Amino acid sequence: MTAEIGQFALVLALALSLVQSVLPVAGARRRDPRMMAVAVPTAFAVFALIALSFAMLVHAYVVSDFSVLNVVENSHSQKPLLYKITGVWGNHEGSMLLWVLILAFFGALVAFFGNNLPPALKANVLGVHGWIGTAFLLFIVATSNPFARVAPAPLEGQDLNPILQDIGLAIHPPLLYLGYVGFSVCFSFAVAALIEGRIDAAWARWVRPWTLTAWMFLTGGIAMGSYWAYYELGWGGWWFWDPVENASFMPWLAGTALLHSALVMEKRSALKIWTVLLALLTFSLSLLGTFLVRSGVLTSVHTFATDPGRGLFILAILTLFIGGSLTLFAFRAQSLSSGGLFQPISREGALVFNNLFLTTATATVLVGTLYPLLLEALTGDKISVGAPFFNMTFGPLMIPLLAAVPFGPLLAWKRGDLLGVGQRLLTAFALALLVTGFILYKTSAREVLAAFGIGLAVWVMAGSLTDLALKAGIGKVSAATAFARFVGLPRSVFGTALAHFGLGITLLGIVSVTTFGTEQVVAMKPGETLPVAGYRLRYDGLTPAIGPNYTEQQGRFALLDNAARQVDTIVSARRFYPARRMPTTEAGIVTHGVNQFYISLGDDLAAGGIVVRVWWKPLVTLIWLGALAMMAGGCISLLDRRLRIGAPARAKGPRSGPAEASA
Amino acid sequence: MEFWLIAVLLTFAATLAVLLPLTRRRAATAADGQYDLEVYRDQMREVEADAARGLIDPQSAEQARAEIARRMLKAEQEAGQGSSAPRSVQRARWLVLSAVLSVPLISWGLYALTGSPDMPAQPLAGRMASNPADGSVSELIARAEAHLAQNPDDGRGWDVLAPVYLRLGRADDAVNAYRNAVRLQGESAERAFGLGEALATAAGGTITGDAQAMFERAAALDPGDVRPRFMIARGLMQEGKNEEAADMLQAFLDKAPADAPWRDQLGAAIAEIRNAAPASGPGQGDVEAAAKMAAEDRNEMINSMVAGLDERLKQNPDDLEGWKRLVRSYLVLGRRDDALAALKRGSDALAGEKRNDLMAFAKELGLELTETKP
Repeated sequence: MTAEIGQFALVLALALSLVQSVLPVAGARRRDPRMMAVAVPTAFAVFALIALSFAMLVHAYVVSDFSVLNVVENSHSQKPLLYKITGVWGNHEGSMLLWVLILAFFGALVAFFGNNLPPALKANVLGVHGWIGTAFLLFIVATSNPFARVAPAPLEGQDLNPILQDIGLAIHPPLLYLGYVGFSVCFSFAVAALIEGRIDAAWARWVRPWTLTAWMFLTGGIAMGSYWAYYELGWGGWWFWDPVENASFMPWLAGTALLHSALVMEKRSALKIWTVLLALLTFSLSLLGTFLVRSGVLTSVHTFATDPGRGLFILAILTLFIGGSLTLFAFRAQSLSSGGLFQPISREGALVFNNLFLTTATATVLVGTLYPLLLEALTGDKISVGAPFFNMTFGPLMIPLLAAVPFGPLLAWKRGDLLGVGQRLLTAFALALLVTGFILYKTSAREVLAAFGIGLAVWVMAGSLTDLALKAGIGKVSAATAFARFVGLPRSVFGTALAHFGLGITLLGIVSVTTFGTEQVVAMKPGETLPVAGYRLRYDGLTPAIGPNYTEQQGRFALLDNAARQVDTIVSARRFYPARRMPTTEAGIVTHGVNQFYISLGDDLAAGGIVVRVWWKPLVTLIWLGALAMMAGGCISLLDRRLRIGAPARAKGPRSGPAEASA
Repeated sequence: MEFWLIAVLLTFAATLAVLLPLTRRRAATAADGQYDLEVYRDQMREVEADAARGLIDPQSAEQARAEIARRMLKAEQEAGQGSSAPRSVQRARWLVLSAVLSVPLISWGLYALTGSPDMPAQPLAGRMASNPADGSVSELIARAEAHLAQNPDDGRGWDVLAPVYLRLGRADDAVNAYRNAVRLQGESAERAFGLGEALATAAGGTITGDAQAMFERAAALDPGDVRPRFMIARGLMQEGKNEEAADMLQAFLDKAPADAPWRDQLGAAIAEIRNAAPASGPGQGDVEAAAKMAAEDRNEMINSMVAGLDERLKQNPDDLEGWKRLVRSYLVLGRRDDALAALKRGSDALAGEKRNDLMAFAKELGLELTETKP
């Protein structure tokens, strides 16, 4: 019965979404406050219904109700509880349900926090949000019903793809979806503004927390996905320029650009049309990502099921929303009042520079991702656009952008003083030069690129610290005053500095691991040792072990220091999941500070012994720690008291309106 | 019943979410411009705070103030112009009505298309706790599997499950179960034979070296058991060693007790092997099937083999041993009339010494052709 309640709640949510799509928008056109007021309670109710539906699916997984097809196909009674729950979204149907759950969650958040929005704008935003919800709910009910039943119910499920049986599945998709789907709010705001034909600096302020939230989660989702791929796939790489990765990276780049252009719009009432376009494009890229991943156009771990019908449906949704919103944009753009002009050397100029490079980078990634697909569709030729293409195009675009990062926050609005800012950044520049020189000296000038890359990372990090120091007035005022000013700085200043600092951390990790990391592929017999990064690695042989739903052979390694003392044990395993008859490898990773040893087991050798891949990855964890710092920066900015704008007092009469409806 | 109650309640709540805001009286809300003004006032406060903190120089602060003030002026104008009163008092009643009605109609309509309200949930724990006697075979197996997953060292469990797997054709599982049973319960003729069968089935019916070794082991453990011999013979025939297979079976038959119920069948099979060219005769498949079959099934196979023999004797009647075998086979199968008919046909087809031999053979079995006596 629980599965049927889930099914019913889902179709009821669809019906209600339809109402949410129509009535508030019609109400906003007619200036009918009652019809507009429908938006808020329906947004809440849709979220509640989808949450109920999702809870029912989770319940079916937890109790192993094999009368639900989705549970049969993706669960197993012997699976640990955590993976039973995460298995809910480890498949196409369940992940789409999670997608709309998060969509409805954001709808409810807008309804809840939207008291400071003009009623017509709020009604339109929630109405447009309802369109997206309706389209995807229809997609689920029509092609991907997670509650399809089977009779007679089998006694055992087919288990989840073993690669997905990992804690990563608990974190990566929800975070990523919070990011992807979060940009739907920005999209809804942009379309609502286009419908109303009215857009101003206040709009940018209202959108900012949503952009920040989505960006923050997307950053976390991508970083988590990268780390998961790194330790689970056993190839030792952390980014593959895989189309699915690009699909999440493109909205991130566009979203980062949006985050910065919205600042200009808010402060200077400029770049309005561009910002609206970016908001449309960012979510369009999220949708494109969903299409690429879900349609089966790409075949990878992420494509749980390939089904042309689903692909066509998503393509239709994609065309409708991207094409529709861009058409609306084309009609309405001229009627939006354009903003004022500004000097190239100014804060806003720096932000335009940022946007220019970020959008070009987005376009580069888009071309690299879609070109092979288009070519295959048109000519049937299969080509692979791999890392070299992206390194040649994306890399050079990032260098001027990163070099400019420290300047941005230091330049004043309207008219900046580049020379003055340059002087203030001298310390940071000197530090970067010093580090570059040191690396050149240590590597006997062999690693020139790496030296400059690390110098650039230091420059970005020192630059963001300089920003904080200058804003606190360190060096100009007494220490006590500086401290007081430092503590009193707006949180968004800390947020900016921390996010930029995180960028530098990530860059440092990337350059270090690419240049100074080592890889060895050797055959080892028990007792043999291998020198790795100043340590010796001893292979101690294979031991069998049994997990809850797999058997494994653990290769044990001892890490010995120069004095032959054992400092660590590394266990790397080959697993076999009998339910799916599928082998996997579990990389053995130990972390020393921010560096890692990474061991992956290969095949047995006829002559005895085993093929072992050993990587030494200096500073590798900085890649993800940097992303965490960026997330933390976004979070601190979001908590800025100033983002909370009050609603105007009611004209007269009893207190009513959205606030009451949301109670 | 419970489900319908919940469905009705959910529908009611959802419809209410649409209906309530539509029916409630609303005071005029603030104009859109008012909301913009709030933002600009906030921005103004922000500039003041930054200026007070010294984050921006006085000149920039002054410019920013002027810019925000311009925006505020514009927003105030808009707030004054734009009346927030409903543009049309006459509401689109049909739109509102259809919206409210669409919630129950669409949801129940779609549910009618996609739902299966009569199917009960079947959580695994509930199914495991129900009376085993009510369960199907697959359910019992799942129970046993769950038990063995918890107690992998329960040898008796494996012992019970192994032949069940084999009968269901889950050969790989059967191999695994037999191996576990052997590991925990020790070797026995039954387990060795079962493992051999499982290995052969897993190999698609071919008696592999492993399977042959297991059959030989079973034969050694229980020298009186005929089944492993059959399988060994089949393995030999696979290699084309029909003679060797027949000799081995013959040797076994010679030593077998006189009252063994399978004597005649074995004799028939030996003859078949000898008669058949290496490629034909009771093929590997037939013997494999015979060895695995239940008694009735085996009889049926024997029947068809006997019918084959009958047919051959019609073509080639001058075959004393053949007639003897046919008569005896019919008797073994309990078809006394057929046996008599066969004896009659044999006595007609044969002559002289051979005919007398056949008659004497029949008499030993208790058959006499009274009417043919001269």
